[in-house]
Amino acid sequence: MRAARLVGSSLTAMGRYKLRSGFMMLGSAVGVAAITLVVSVSRGAERKVLSTVRQLFGDSSVLVMAGGGTLMGGPRAGAARLTVDDVDAVAHEVPGLDGWDAQQGLGVTSVRRGEKSAMSRVLGGTERAERVWSRGVSRGEFFDAAAVGASARVALIGETTARELFGSEDPLGAEILVGSVPLRVIGVLERFGTDLHGMDRDAELLVPLTTVMRRILNVDTIGAAKLLVRRREDVASTAAEVKRVLRARHGLSGGQPNDFSVVSTVQVQKMVDQARRVLFLFLPLAAAIALLTGGAVSAALMLASVSQRVAEIGLRRAVGARPRDVALQFLLESAVTMMAGGLGGLLAGTLASRLAAARLHLPGDVFSWSAVALGLALSCLVGLAAGVLPARRAARLSPVEALR
Amino acid sequence: MIELREIGRTYLRPNGERVEALRGVTLRIERGEFVAVVGTSGSGKSTLMNVLGLLDRPDEGSYWLNGHDVARLPVDEQAALRNKRIGFVFQSFHLLPRATALENVELPLLYSDRASLDGLGRRALEAVGLADRMSHRPSELSGGQQQRVAIARALVNEPDVLLADEPTGNLDARTALEILDVLSALNAAGRTVVLVTHDASLAARCGRVAELQDGRLVRDERAALVAGAAR
Repeated sequence: MRAARLVGSSLTAMGRYKLRSGFMMLGSAVGVAAITLVVSVSRGAERKVLSTVRQLFGDSSVLVMAGGGTLMGGPRAGAARLTVDDVDAVAHEVPGLDGWDAQQGLGVTSVRRGEKSAMSRVLGGTERAERVWSRGVSRGEFFDAAAVGASARVALIGETTARELFGSEDPLGAEILVGSVPLRVIGVLERFGTDLHGMDRDAELLVPLTTVMRRILNVDTIGAAKLLVRRREDVASTAAEVKRVLRARHGLSGGQPNDFSVVSTVQVQKMVDQARRVLFLFLPLAAAIALLTGGAVSAALMLASVSQRVAEIGLRRAVGARPRDVALQFLLESAVTMMAGGLGGLLAGTLASRLAAARLHLPGDVFSWSAVALGLALSCLVGLAAGVLPARRAARLSPVEALR
Repeated sequence: MIELREIGRTYLRPNGERVEALRGVTLRIERGEFVAVVGTSGSGKSTLMNVLGLLDRPDEGSYWLNGHDVARLPVDEQAALRNKRIGFVFQSFHLLPRATALENVELPLLYSDRASLDGLGRRALEAVGLADRMSHRPSELSGGQQQRVAIARALVNEPDVLLADEPTGNLDARTALEILDVLSALNAAGRTVVLVTHDASLAARCGRVAELQDGRLVRDERAALVAGAAR
């Protein structure tokens, strides 16, 4: 009962010393807000990374890119001399493959329809792209092998590009222009969302590979290829084998570097794990440091408060407070104030992560009770820790000295 | 009720000097007495008060309160006794500046074991005539009123003895008399009061005067002798 009364009186004290409480709460709020923000945004980012990696790589695959391509970047024309024949040869020579698709693209370019135009990525692929990249059409039809063989002037359109060019009209059967090449829309691509670069992958046009190579770009190389590996455990050895075959075909001798790059799901998994470590260890650590700083400031403020309230401490001892009652009072004042600030920080952090999630196109719902519990527990802990020294000092004061 | 036997208390000043604040003080105070402790500054008055109030421990002698030797009780038990048996009134009031009169009066109840605290603070304030000042802060009260709030705080737990250390030292002569009247009235109602003062005219109005000099009790006179002189 005495403890309950002390909690009540620490709440009163928070109101009596508004300025000090305010600064302590600010310190706690900033720390907790940072932790809340970082934890929920990391969680969203992780979900995003995992889902995108799955979308791009599937469970087991090897990606071959022309030149020293980057992992998540699109294929680039003119970088080197990777050809469809190269990939074809790899597919024949390397065992354990379950299909492949080659890509060549223009990057983001203007796609027109009459007066209207839309900025859109234009990508060429084979009829196998549907299976290899696990992305089909939601309406219309995917182009077939015959279309690829004949460099047909057809295109599959992403939802964003369709909306920009057609509004609410049906794009199927309509004609659009890429450069001076007219293409007939035969299908609408399944929705993808944004990729890891924040690029809207629904602002995209998928065209038969040969159409891009011969009619639009006039090149005989490809930018990239994706090879599906049948068994997950073979991915690493398959990647090595792919490298060997390509080096041999390109006539590279021992000392020469690769003129292509190979990325396997194993490597991607490693990178994701690394990113995860940053997301779940270092970022929260950085945020926790903000809270610790707040705690250190609070400890200093509480110490100052003890010095300022020496007479009060003496009086409390005179009217019956035990040393531990005095210690408890200052511990509680510190903890209660920090927790109140923590609540504010949770609110601010949650709001900020909502905003961040919206801006970064991360999965939306970031609120979690575990974050609330973590924020309150941490601020309470830091408050208690910050109160230890002041509480000890207050409890050790001699009442006779304090009342002088 | 209170019995000090051969109490000695020696301080060590920071510069190493030994100060014998109390030397062999023996003093018996019965329930219902009104005792003035007088003496020049440095005579040991405040130390005696601190020993009586269990804020300070004597180095020698024993202190019997209600038949128990309390001088060497553990810190926590002394705190409980202060809460239950002793009420303090200080020269500088020692009110919490940011708390209301009622909150100040109720402070000792925070450390009390009583089951019900309802109305105790209110009643104590009424007893000192401040029923209409409950929610005023100390800065909104006169010096006399502040000291009455402090007296109400000392009374709130119904202590056996009220220890007032120069309670009028910060007040003008008229207000000082007012405060003395409050203490006298409390004593008349049966409360034991010990008043430390250097003001002989105030002391003269008490039932008994004990004088300290250099830490020794040099005079201890009963009412009959001093009452006539005061009136």
